[in-house]
Amino acid sequence: MKVLVSWLRELVDVPVPPATLARDLHMAGFEVASVEPVGDDAVIDFEITANRPDCLGLLGLAREVATRYQTSLKAPALAELGAADAIAAGPLRVTVEDTERCPRYCAAIADVTVGPSPDWLARRLTAAGVRAISNIVDVTNYVLLETGHPLHAFDLAKLAGSELRIRTARPAETLTTLDGVQRKLATDMLVIADRDRPQALGGVMGGADSEVTDETTTIVLESAWFLPGSIRRTSRRLGLSTEASYRFERGADLEMASTALARACALIEQIGAGKVRMGWVDARASKREPVRIAFDLAQVRRVLGLEVEPAEVRRILEGLGFGVDGEAPTLQVTVPSWRVDVSRDVDLVEEIARHHGYDRLPPTFPALTAPPPPPDRRLEIDRAVRRLATGLGFSEAVTFSFISERTAREFVPAGPLVAITNPLSESFAVLRPTLAAGLLDAVAHNRRHGRRDVRLFELGTRFLPDGGENRSFAWAWTGAAVPDHWSARARPIDFFDASGVVQGIASALGLSISLRAAERPFLVPGRSAEILAANGNGAIVSGFVGQLRPELADARDIPAQDAVFVAEIDLDAVDDLVTLLDLPRTRALPRFPSIVRDISILVDDTLLAADVRGTIQSAAPPTLVRAFEFDRYQGKGIPEGKVSLSYRLTFQAPDRTLTDAEADAATGAIVDALAAAHGAVRR
Amino acid sequence: MTPTDTLRAQFTDEIAAARTDRDLKAIRDRYLGRKGGAIAALMKTLASAPAEERPALGQAINALKREIEAALDARAAALAATARPAGAVDVTLPGRVPPIGGLHPLTQLRTRIEAIFARQGYEILSGPETEDDWHNFEALNMPPDHPARDMQDTLYLSAPWNRSVPPVGSAARSDAVSAPSDAHDVGSPKKAARSGGASAPPDTRPATLLRTHTSAMQIRYMETHRPPVRVIAPGRVYRRDNLDLTHTPMFQQVEGLVVGEHVTMGDLKGTIIGFLRELFAPDIPVVFRPSFFPYTEPSADVFIGCQQCRGAGCAMCKRTGFIEVLGCGMVHPAVFEAVGYDPKAVTGFAFGVGIERLALLMYGVEDIRLFYENDLRFLEQFPL
Repeated sequence: MKVLVSWLRELVDVPVPPATLARDLHMAGFEVASVEPVGDDAVIDFEITANRPDCLGLLGLAREVATRYQTSLKAPALAELGAADAIAAGPLRVTVEDTERCPRYCAAIADVTVGPSPDWLARRLTAAGVRAISNIVDVTNYVLLETGHPLHAFDLAKLAGSELRIRTARPAETLTTLDGVQRKLATDMLVIADRDRPQALGGVMGGADSEVTDETTTIVLESAWFLPGSIRRTSRRLGLSTEASYRFERGADLEMASTALARACALIEQIGAGKVRMGWVDARASKREPVRIAFDLAQVRRVLGLEVEPAEVRRILEGLGFGVDGEAPTLQVTVPSWRVDVSRDVDLVEEIARHHGYDRLPPTFPALTAPPPPPDRRLEIDRAVRRLATGLGFSEAVTFSFISERTAREFVPAGPLVAITNPLSESFAVLRPTLAAGLLDAVAHNRRHGRRDVRLFELGTRFLPDGGENRSFAWAWTGAAVPDHWSARARPIDFFDASGVVQGIASALGLSISLRAAERPFLVPGRSAEILAANGNGAIVSGFVGQLRPELADARDIPAQDAVFVAEIDLDAVDDLVTLLDLPRTRALPRFPSIVRDISILVDDTLLAADVRGTIQSAAPPTLVRAFEFDRYQGKGIPEGKVSLSYRLTFQAPDRTLTDAEADAATGAIVDALAAAHGAVRR
Repeated sequence: MTPTDTLRAQFTDEIAAARTDRDLKAIRDRYLGRKGGAIAALMKTLASAPAEERPALGQAINALKREIEAALDARAAALAATARPAGAVDVTLPGRVPPIGGLHPLTQLRTRIEAIFARQGYEILSGPETEDDWHNFEALNMPPDHPARDMQDTLYLSAPWNRSVPPVGSAARSDAVSAPSDAHDVGSPKKAARSGGASAPPDTRPATLLRTHTSAMQIRYMETHRPPVRVIAPGRVYRRDNLDLTHTPMFQQVEGLVVGEHVTMGDLKGTIIGFLRELFAPDIPVVFRPSFFPYTEPSADVFIGCQQCRGAGCAMCKRTGFIEVLGCGMVHPAVFEAVGYDPKAVTGFAFGVGIERLALLMYGVEDIRLFYENDLRFLEQFPL
């Protein structure tokens, strides 16, 4: 809202220079976008918040000025329009068919000579950012800027039957609006029609056919009030936002309709553009009772934490146009028709705070009246996971929650996705079903900028169409497991670096996990696994780890020879299994020495390590405290299809020193069990 | 120059050049060797010298011999002192540095903010990022067709999404759920059992949009918890904004909510000033200006003095000397009514701050996109 200060001064005494005015109104809630000096005058551009449509006109701001500086308002000149009639004025007949969408419709008739506006008027419009067009159109815009109330002028000669019908559009009706666009109307859109067809989109834009032109000799001036929701829906649906719709959808002043009309008529005569006929239409569904609020002054203290003198309360409210009756502690406050934002006592408290000054509020602190709750377990786990990941050399990434559908399909080739209906671009079209997609892009970005070793992780939500929102931890890793050093060349990562990170983090969280070979569409077959987390009665699949398919990396300009490993863990699934946050219960340290036995066995190379471990565990006595796989060998001396496995077995008893004989017997039993179960041959 | 002087000069040069024990041994042999040593050779010249010169010459040679011995010993001791023990390494070679990762700057800042409020007894919430219209708009006093919805251009889901949302926040506290006296009935959550919290059933209303603010979480919390309330709601939020220097379609917010029987706007002011001073600087100017949000009344925008120009006016603060950092206000009674609280019995304040916005200011970052590129050259500029 651009305000020419000299114009504002016509409506209120402004006892300060423009810069001070701008600053003071800024601090009263009217954000100043800019102040442009124009000679000793200035144009101040205010950003008016959505709750203050009354300040989308100079009159509203003038009230704020009057209240701020305790000066007086000056009413602009109004024309005498004679008697109002609900239906007719001269040849014009007005019928409001939809009184809900249009509870008040005022109209007057003037005989005019269309031409340019006088300079002073055109200059004011220009300063306010409105183009001068012709005296009649300019007058409607002038009144809009001054009062905040939108008006419209029709060429009476173009109105079939000299009639105006305020109704909703009929099926298949169209209207060519002033901007020359032919618009298809929906049946819930309000139109101002003549006898035959729509002539304006009520409260939004006039029609081209009944536009005021140089040939126009008689005009119908419309000043109405339209239902905000209806205007907003129409404006949105047609993608047509105008000065009028902007104001009506926020809420115009029902009482201002007639005042703005009289003001426009006065101006038409003042600038010699025409003569207003006596008698006007005021079609009004019902008189609206003003909002009254019983205002308990204790509310001021209760909400603000500050005592404001009743006299100050009264001064502020009356200055802004509120009616104030009664005495403290309870005032009877009548809300003026233009303050559509005020309906309850707290709204009045805001007015008082605004004009008394936010700077006068005392800074205090809320009392703690209940014990704080314990921290959220999930957030604690998140924190632990972040700490572990950074300790393992992974840096945290934040990637977008939405990705392109094409990318999503690389990870989830089939089935539903959670899609966005109005994305700004295709790359933000669906909600990510995995965090791996964004991490992969981040790895590629770093790879493109010369980073060979990249370890990134992210913790966030993934969106599983059938599983809901899911808290997930994922990482991506490419480059060296052991970085380049003068003592040795870098060792590129392999599957066991990747699985080791998963196992290390799980172990630190107190999760008991195992890996099982499993395919994923985006992972290299044979180098991908599911993560199984043991719960009381089995294990649940809670993630994956594996090498990314080279074609996915290649598509992102990651060199094909650089293996990228990724893993993702469903934190929601394992939250309850994490023991990290439990109070640790310690065991006594062993008091008796342990005995170590190494065994090497020859088995089929297809036998899974997990199976061997299982056999060892089940055949061993409770004194086996550790079985460590320390070598795995194929090659010279080992038959084709076989592998030599070496285990270090540690035996220990809590209550005595084990004998060699006991250890040998236990080892023998383990070897026998391995032979029986897997045909293992001891080497 | 006498022959002894010549030899001394020669020795002085040689010993200065000696670097190893082996060098010293060679010098010792060359000068002090019984046969063929330079001193021995000089001694032999003694016989042919005139008798009267012999004593002085002999003394000079002996003196030189002692000098050489002493110098050799001193040099050997010096070399021994600097010699490396067996198996020594060059400790100045670079070690094998284990890689250490860092937290994302936005996480670091968010954690800092959370810690400030956690210390003041705030519960930190987490909640769904997809929402229904009720939690994101209606309950926040933004009915359909409300112009304020324009302030937050929303991303909508293509189809309503049926997913189950666990209750937000911990189980309600036992002392808070005990039946209050009539005089102090502060209202009760209407959407869930009185015990509220984690014991409330999951919400199965379908999601239709991506939350535009974390206020939605606060509604969920109030629906299942009775006052007093003191919570922080951090998380990702989504708006239909193009990605450019200062905008992203996704960013992170921290919102706070305090509800109780005697919570005032003064409390809001004190809390915000304390927060911003801890975050920025103990003496930073903080200014509250009236503003508008549908869910608060009165509402305020909060500005801090520009750190760049110290209030003098610069490009960063658009020559105003102040930078907007936060929006806040007293909870609108309509919001309390929506969640079943009695606005006559309780008051509350709420505030919301964009983490990216603060991060841009605090870290001097000029392009918000840097936070999402995850370029390690950028991330590694933040402390681990």
